[in-house]
Amino acid sequence: MTAGRGDPDLLDRIVGGSLGWLTAMRDFFRLPPDTTTDADPNLTLKPLGELAELTQLIASSHPCAEFRDAAGRLFAFAWRETRAGALFAELIRGEPYATYPVEIYGVFAQAGLRHPAVEELVLTTTGLRGWRVAREDHTRTLGVLNAERRIGLAQHADFDTAFARTGLGLLPEPWALDRKAAYGLTHDVFHLTDWGRNRRRLAPEAAGYLRLWLPSWLENWQEEQLWDLVGELLAVAACLPAAPYDAAAWQRLAAAQAADGSVPETGAAPRPTDPAEAFLACYHSTLVTAFAGTLARIASDEAEPYAGPLVAGQTAVAGPTPYESEAAL
Amino acid sequence: MAEQTQGAVPLSAVIADAATGVALALQGGGDPYALSRILRQGDPLAPAAVRVLGADALAPYALEHRAVPVGADDEAVVRQTLAAFPPGADASDVSAWSYRGLVEATHAYLPSHARPWPRPPETGAEWTAADPWPRLAHRVSQLAALALPGLAADLEEQLTSRTDDLARGFVRAVRRRDWLQAAGVGRWLARLPDVPPTLGLDAGLAFVRQMGGGDPRVALHVVAAQRFFGRGW
Repeated sequence: MTAGRGDPDLLDRIVGGSLGWLTAMRDFFRLPPDTTTDADPNLTLKPLGELAELTQLIASSHPCAEFRDAAGRLFAFAWRETRAGALFAELIRGEPYATYPVEIYGVFAQAGLRHPAVEELVLTTTGLRGWRVAREDHTRTLGVLNAERRIGLAQHADFDTAFARTGLGLLPEPWALDRKAAYGLTHDVFHLTDWGRNRRRLAPEAAGYLRLWLPSWLENWQEEQLWDLVGELLAVAACLPAAPYDAAAWQRLAAAQAADGSVPETGAAPRPTDPAEAFLACYHSTLVTAFAGTLARIASDEAEPYAGPLVAGQTAVAGPTPYESEAAL
Repeated sequence: MAEQTQGAVPLSAVIADAATGVALALQGGGDPYALSRILRQGDPLAPAAVRVLGADALAPYALEHRAVPVGADDEAVVRQTLAAFPPGADASDVSAWSYRGLVEATHAYLPSHARPWPRPPETGAEWTAADPWPRLAHRVSQLAALALPGLAADLEEQLTSRTDDLARGFVRAVRRRDWLQAAGVGRWLARLPDVPPTLGLDAGLAFVRQMGGGDPRVALHVVAAQRFFGRGW
């Protein structure tokens, strides 16, 4: 992996393709009428929450206006699907102790999209002693803490203490990492850095650890053609100071992207012919690819701040750049 | 390599037996070491097995056994090996280096009064700088037998600047459950300075032995790392 500008043209092709497919498949993200009752949240709210999380970042931070616009439209669509937040009030009344409605609401709240009933509800539910009971794992705790921070709620636990117990916080032997642990580790980085918005929160020790071992993991999971995890690892690489750029990994991910812009979760299984099944097999990895490509593109611009390429027909519109300059470290 | 005749022991079994004998000797078990004793007398595959084990065939002599006179049988089988399997003009770097390792080991561990040992062949080392890390780690693992005290000092020096890359290769090999490669790279890392502490090399070598120690060559590399360089357990 090398630092530097990477390949902005390739990154733009990848992100453009991903956003194009996500836009074309937008209706598959629609919530069914039984969302708050019988529907499986893993097939309804989880995809919509992920769409919101990742398109919000792209909409607010990608250097190219056309990608910001496309992502912004998807983000607005996701908010409409929640009926401008009213859905979260229903979800919380139905499951007052569940964390996922609060976590997904946090995505919108951070962008300034709030709902008064939800604001009142979460003050009560997240203030309970029961809210502080340990979650399934420490990575999840970071996610809840990040949501609390986004909404402006009191933190139910100390962030640094929770982080120290996560997979990344413990700096595990890099060879003793299975797929689940690898996903945990990427999410430790995402929650810690607020999905790449605040990369300075990554301490030098953790950053050095990731810089050292990411090449091995990328190689391993490329061999297994697990493009979803490859995308997440590339996003993590883009969160590091002077983001290392793994040209070979990006090229292989680009090669895994289908002509329609979708990226399959795994290259080891045949692509389903049924559109709904194809959506489930591709939506997450395609979102992750767009997200990783955006972070890498931002890092690429930072590596050479005076030669930012302009998209045809676009004047020097600087997108909002909530990112800390690496030079300030 | 030699054709396998009906009823004969396959070469892999001869290598495995010899590797087990070397590992046992390095651990201090059994009788004083003699290479000829861990090979079947008159076995036509013996030189091939010695060629595959390379310098490791003589590794136990690097310990305290210098005082024990090396038997004529040992010298004979080594000379036979060196004569039978020299690297050709188009030999791979690994083949040339492993041959050189065996020659260097004879110089270092088998003082010969009768007849001098052949000179070590020239070996190229451009690959130590040029190889991408996965290929480098794979090649180095194939040269695990050269990770012995005093052998291939120039290779050791060159690899010192690629410690991080070799450590990455160790991670990749363990994750692929390629225990032989992991043990070979891990053995070289045991010899090199400044291995990244977060690698957990000692636990890693122990893990590789637990998971892949059924292969005597895996066990041999882990034992050698421990015996000569004090890494792993």
